[in-house]
Amino acid sequence: MQSSGQAVLKPTAPNEGLLDVAQMATGVALILFMWSHMMLVASVNLGSGVMNAIGAFLEDHYLAQLGGPAVALLFLIHFALAARKIPFRPKEQANMWEHSLRLQHTDTWLWVVQAFTGMAILVMGCVHMWTVLTNLPITAGKSAFRIQGGWWLLFYMVLLPTVELHVGIGLYRIGVKWGFVTRAQRSYVKSLENRVTLAFIVVGALTLITFYFIITAVPKP
Amino acid sequence: MERALKFNIFRYNAMDPRSVPQMQTFYLDETDSMTLFIALNRIREEQDPSLQFDFCCRAGICGSCAMLINGRPDLACHTKTKDLPAEITLMPLPVFKLIGDLSVDTGTWFRAMNETVQSWIHTDRTFDPKATEERMSNEEAEAIYELERCIECGCCVAACGKANMRPDFMGAVAFNRIARFITDPRDKRTMKEYFDVVGTEEGIFGCLGLLGCEDICPKHLPLQDQLGMLRRKMGWTAVRHLFDGLLGKTA
Repeated sequence: MQSSGQAVLKPTAPNEGLLDVAQMATGVALILFMWSHMMLVASVNLGSGVMNAIGAFLEDHYLAQLGGPAVALLFLIHFALAARKIPFRPKEQANMWEHSLRLQHTDTWLWVVQAFTGMAILVMGCVHMWTVLTNLPITAGKSAFRIQGGWWLLFYMVLLPTVELHVGIGLYRIGVKWGFVTRAQRSYVKSLENRVTLAFIVVGALTLITFYFIITAVPKP
Repeated sequence: MERALKFNIFRYNAMDPRSVPQMQTFYLDETDSMTLFIALNRIREEQDPSLQFDFCCRAGICGSCAMLINGRPDLACHTKTKDLPAEITLMPLPVFKLIGDLSVDTGTWFRAMNETVQSWIHTDRTFDPKATEERMSNEEAEAIYELERCIECGCCVAACGKANMRPDFMGAVAFNRIARFITDPRDKRTMKEYFDVVGTEEGIFGCLGLLGCEDICPKHLPLQDQLGMLRRKMGWTAVRHLFDGLLGKTA
């Protein structure tokens, strides 16, 4: 019995709280990274010279060689933390699915989308990072070669909306879960988030079009 | 215009070993200002006296008539049939123990929840029955009253994805209770003591933030804001606990 009279069986370890804080922090860091990443890749729309200059800068300052693996590590840590919330037992999955179908509630569906896109990004993100980071430096010609091969275009046409949905929904959910977004602000933030997500998908699609049709492909040496 | 309403109602008598869970169809002519309370009573009086469902106040105060109305938890007594399509499916609330048909035992669950969060004011002060009542600011009293409006109907628990997956999850109603005592200046519990109750995977850190509770609550309690506040306060307590440990301070 403690001074105020609150009785507990045993003091709670702070682990769950720290893991939840870490999940949010890694999520925010990855959101910022993904937005910067999209901006840097979209620089190819201004000409391959611009993208090549950025690629060379990253290479010269070891941001690609060290930053790339660091982001990959952050990505895996975020997965391990977020996976605590994903139901892996078939019974829990069935309960959640039946609940979602029954309730027909937007934010419940957003979470389902978040869980599915998370699993897809785990696989596709690893494939993407491995391909890019084992073929440094990043140049517009090498990226165009990949996209113009055909299958990679299909791969990125799936990965682009998957990532942008996960990032957009994730940011909105961090806001409401941690109380940064209040009841009064929720619908505004949600619609703003939808527009931001759509804008990034459009920029990404334009970039893919540029890589496919405009940039001269440079095969692997 | 008068509609012919079709009701699909879940039937199962847990006390009868021969009973098999099934949906049963009833038809009823809609009347003016008909609520589901009126409809279900008419079905029981005119068509099947064995139909089980719970009602008490019929005014959205007692919380006993919560059920799934076309899949969404709500109070039957304040749901008007004119706001629903002509075909209405009624199921008992999930998560809670089924008594029979649409009747569930929310009492046992709520008793356990209130015991877990120790839903009373914790203070070391001795109560003096002869003393004048202590004053409290109007803002504080109103903030507490806003959270006290909960009628413990169970809709937020039924609308919660996590509670549907994990029976040991505390649910929004418990977080609202904790928030109510954090708001109350008479409760002397420290954040660490609240953390011991709610800073767990069964507590606020297990919450997925789906906001089914917020969007479903028939009393429109500000659950999103309470859950957000609680997660922030408990997250901060965890971080502080870590730093105190690293700096060698005892919590």
